[in-house]
Amino acid sequence: MKRKTKRLWITLSAMGSFAIAIILILSAFSSNLVYFKAPSQLINHPTEQGTTIRLGGMVMANSLHYSHKDQTPTAQFKVTDGQAAIEVHYTGILPDLFREGQSVIAIGSLDKNNVFTANEVLAKHDETYMPKEVAEALRKSGKWDPKYGPPPDAQTWDHMTKPK
Amino acid sequence: MTHLPYLIAAYGITIIALGTISLHSWTRLKQVQKKLSQLQNNNKPS
Amino acid sequence: MTDTSLPPQQQSRFNIHRLANPGFFLRFATIIQPWINVSAALCLVIGLVWGLFYSPADWQQGDSVRIMYIHVPMAILASGGYFALAVCALCSLIWKHPLADLAAEEIGPVGAVITALCLITGSLWGKPMWGTWWVWDARLTSVLVLFFLYLGHITLLHAFDDQQKGYKAAAILALVGVFDLPIIKFSVNWWNTLHQPSTFSLTHAPSMSFSMMWPLFFCFAGLALGFIALVCIRLRTAILERQIRHILLNE
Repeated sequence: MKRKTKRLWITLSAMGSFAIAIILILSAFSSNLVYFKAPSQLINHPTEQGTTIRLGGMVMANSLHYSHKDQTPTAQFKVTDGQAAIEVHYTGILPDLFREGQSVIAIGSLDKNNVFTANEVLAKHDETYMPKEVAEALRKSGKWDPKYGPPPDAQTWDHMTKPK
Repeated sequence: MTHLPYLIAAYGITIIALGTISLHSWTRLKQVQKKLSQLQNNNKPS
Repeated sequence: MTDTSLPPQQQSRFNIHRLANPGFFLRFATIIQPWINVSAALCLVIGLVWGLFYSPADWQQGDSVRIMYIHVPMAILASGGYFALAVCALCSLIWKHPLADLAAEEIGPVGAVITALCLITGSLWGKPMWGTWWVWDARLTSVLVLFFLYLGHITLLHAFDDQQKGYKAAAILALVGVFDLPIIKFSVNWWNTLHQPSTFSLTHAPSMSFSMMWPLFFCFAGLALGFIALVCIRLRTAILERQIRHILLNE
């Protein structure tokens, strides 16, 4: 079937060239596709003061306090990526999932004191899904303190559900 | 923290949308089957 | 059911290539339709009731996690549906399969509805959990692109006076757009996104408790079988419509 084979090769090579084009375009635009910057990236490559950027990282344990700046309640906490931490100030209602040890994305700008003033704070949740009793069991066994970040590897717990 | 309205809205919209497209596809099939058997009866009176 | 156009040993056993014959496919699909319908309904009922009423709430998301039981299967089926469109496109362009174009025409709308529902349920899940209805991160944006690809596919099919040109254009769009699928899948790994990474992977244990995994599997099975059942109904309709057109043309 010569014509069929010819059509197959034309189609495959067209798709192959298209795939290469997409790979090149995506790697060229990679930095723009990144939804947020980590604290260490922001400190090493500071943007112009006043530009709105997104900062993503984990809320450091024991870094959250509330204060009253200019009569409005402000939350202050540190966001870290394990290598560097940035202080964030936010006035407004924090999302339900916000807590120490949770990943967050803060949208705002860095001021000259290296304090990030956020206009919006979004909470990320990780890819783990577990019932309350499993979380409790992990906490009690000392394997995990939610304040310090995500739970241990799922191999140790995904079978830990109470049989119904 | 109850976010029940979001849960109900999500399931509600899903059920309505899938139900609508299923019903539409099913009635379309029935109509076409009816039309085909009419045409076949017209062509081959038995 | 012997088909004398085939060599003797292939005539009476069930040969998958016979499904390319519209008449045979019609008879085959009509027979299996009730079986697919019933298994889809059964899996769906089991999965939804289990997920909604008998599975535990998540330790941090509470009851909102139950949106996962419809959002996740539909996300998988959205990509799966477009992959099916790409397979139909290959069969049509390269092997000139007689049913490939009809199948593409019927799969498209179902896939579009599922993709839209994936985005809507995702927003309804994101607002209480993340604090926003939408972000332009790589995962959400690439799924929105997928939705527009579906719309483009449906539009192209009806954009030409010559139906064959429409089929060909749509097939080309399906092959071009299929490259969005690996982008969707790996977006959460390649770039920093708000959307969390995959819970299931081929290399590590799933980070989901079994008490949630089972209802998820049943919901996925139910929705997947439902997708197939719906496409089966629509393809049968399309073949019958074609038969009607032939009769009317010959009068």
